[in-house]
Amino acid sequence: MSDDPVLGSRIAHTIALKGISKMFGSVTALHATDLSVEKGEFLTLLGPSGSGKTTLLNLIAGAIGPTTGAILLDGRDITTMPPRERGIGMVFQNYALMPHMTVFENVAYPLRVRREPAKTIQVKVTAALDRVGLRGFGDRKPRQLSGGQQQRVGIARCIVYSPAIIMMDEPLGALDKNLREQMQGEIKRLHRELGTTVIYVTHDQEEALNMSDRICLMNGGQIAQLGTPDELYFRPRSRFVAEFIGESNLFSGRMNSDGRIVIAEAQLIAGPDNRWTEGTEVLVMVRPERVKIGHADGFAKGHTNVLNGEVTSTSFIGGMTRVTVKADNGLNISAKMVSGHAETRPELGARVRLCWSSSDVVVVGN
Amino acid sequence: MSPAVLIAVAIVLPPLLRIIYTSVHGPALSLTSYAEVVKSNLFRETLRTTFIIAGSASVLSLLLGFIVALHLARQPAQRRTALMVLVLLPFWTSILVKCFAFTIILGRDGIINSLLSWIFDTRIQLPLVLNRIGTLVGMTNYLIPLIVLPVLASLLAIDSTIYRAASIMGAKPARIFWTVTVPMSLPGVFAGLLSIFVMSLGTFIIPALLGGRRDQMLSNLVDFYNRQVLDWAKASSISIVLFGIAAAFIIPLILWRRRKA
Repeated sequence: MSDDPVLGSRIAHTIALKGISKMFGSVTALHATDLSVEKGEFLTLLGPSGSGKTTLLNLIAGAIGPTTGAILLDGRDITTMPPRERGIGMVFQNYALMPHMTVFENVAYPLRVRREPAKTIQVKVTAALDRVGLRGFGDRKPRQLSGGQQQRVGIARCIVYSPAIIMMDEPLGALDKNLREQMQGEIKRLHRELGTTVIYVTHDQEEALNMSDRICLMNGGQIAQLGTPDELYFRPRSRFVAEFIGESNLFSGRMNSDGRIVIAEAQLIAGPDNRWTEGTEVLVMVRPERVKIGHADGFAKGHTNVLNGEVTSTSFIGGMTRVTVKADNGLNISAKMVSGHAETRPELGARVRLCWSSSDVVVVGN
Repeated sequence: MSPAVLIAVAIVLPPLLRIIYTSVHGPALSLTSYAEVVKSNLFRETLRTTFIIAGSASVLSLLLGFIVALHLARQPAQRRTALMVLVLLPFWTSILVKCFAFTIILGRDGIINSLLSWIFDTRIQLPLVLNRIGTLVGMTNYLIPLIVLPVLASLLAIDSTIYRAASIMGAKPARIFWTVTVPMSLPGVFAGLLSIFVMSLGTFIIPALLGGRRDQMLSNLVDFYNRQVLDWAKASSISIVLFGIAAAFIIPLILWRRRKA
């Protein structure tokens, strides 16, 4: 599980929340929630601001106490334990480094708190700084480092004492996009190498999809959906999840007798799905990148879900180009195609034909 | 130069030049009065008293003011503003009024002694005024608002997530205080301490009204030569020496602040 003799936590830890909730006055920040994080798991709390993800994080860290429920660390109740006794590590968005201490002293701080001998501190701090690629930076002050380097110090300070759980509160939020992607890779590598259980908070869905074993998508103070990145992306269970993660075409329709879904006079063919009975109103989703777009007389026979329409807008967003089509049956459908030069993109007002396979039609719910 | 500097110079410079002129213009134009001042035992002892009183009053004010600032820093903003008014209230009160108030509170039959007498049912007359205790009480009362402000500013500048981080890493409140709060507030503490020390070097009314014979400071000596001895050259030269001492402390502070900015 861990390949680092100095820093590796020999045992990864689990954390479980049982019916945990939090009220601030009469406002419910978090509805009663059950959540368990497995040993060595990378779990991301994702959601818009005010969704309750930070409340959940603060409850686990012990910064605030829950209104109801219990928090179990390896089965032991830590609900009322003060933060300093929980043995949890935290990485902050604004780094929260001690500006008057050197990098070495910052990383040594949690070890000094634990009264570890000077020799052990020297070995562990050096190993931690090595891990985050800051060998030789020990004598610098935080203000002499770039944002990315400061956050590496923040991570080193966290892994150096092998905490039971590492929590990261939007750790890359203050960094620019390129650096953020690079750091995502490094945090993932550290997680793989050290095998620690990580709870990661972000509002950036790409970050969540890229890094997580599981994502806990929060909305309005409760869990909207908990699952692997694949499950959330390909099998969203509500309109909110379908709209929050990725882009989506959402249609309301009705199941008919042969498993087709009727939408605005057109018939969509969905994959076999026996959750719904005939006549049920359902919400279905097709991801724009699954919609094929071609000439008005294109697509050989055998294709399902074929619609004709007129291009109403195109937008070039780098690797992909988004094309919005108003279908002849009145539906607005968004399709994404791999970008080519300007002349290969459909023109505004052009007649096009769209199609997608029945397996790309996902019934979100009813 | 900005208009403010021009006005300050216009108001401060002429009287200062006048005092310098008086200090060297005795029977003849010479530095005799400076030489006599430096040689005088009275001056030397008063200088020592001045440093001791200014130093101990500043340190005492810092200790008490730090506690006040720490408490203020931990309050929600609205409550803090209300409490700030309480801190500043004595600052807006005339120092003469405060000194007379202290003679009533600390006097031989003052409020404190009366209260103690009543509690112990015997006549108690602790000497709390017209001595070093009275002087330090008056000085501390005068200086605390002046030290609370810079210390509070530096405490509020500490990012609260640093406290959270230290606590999550396992540090207890006492360790957080000594490893985060104290070192990070040090710049404000240092600047505040130096400025109240310099301010207290020139105190006149407090030792005059609340101090005894052994608590007289350089300003009181200036007053003595001015009104009792009528040796204006000596009075002026002591003023200039005091001015020089104050400048010697305040100029490094100004330079340090400028470098930091």
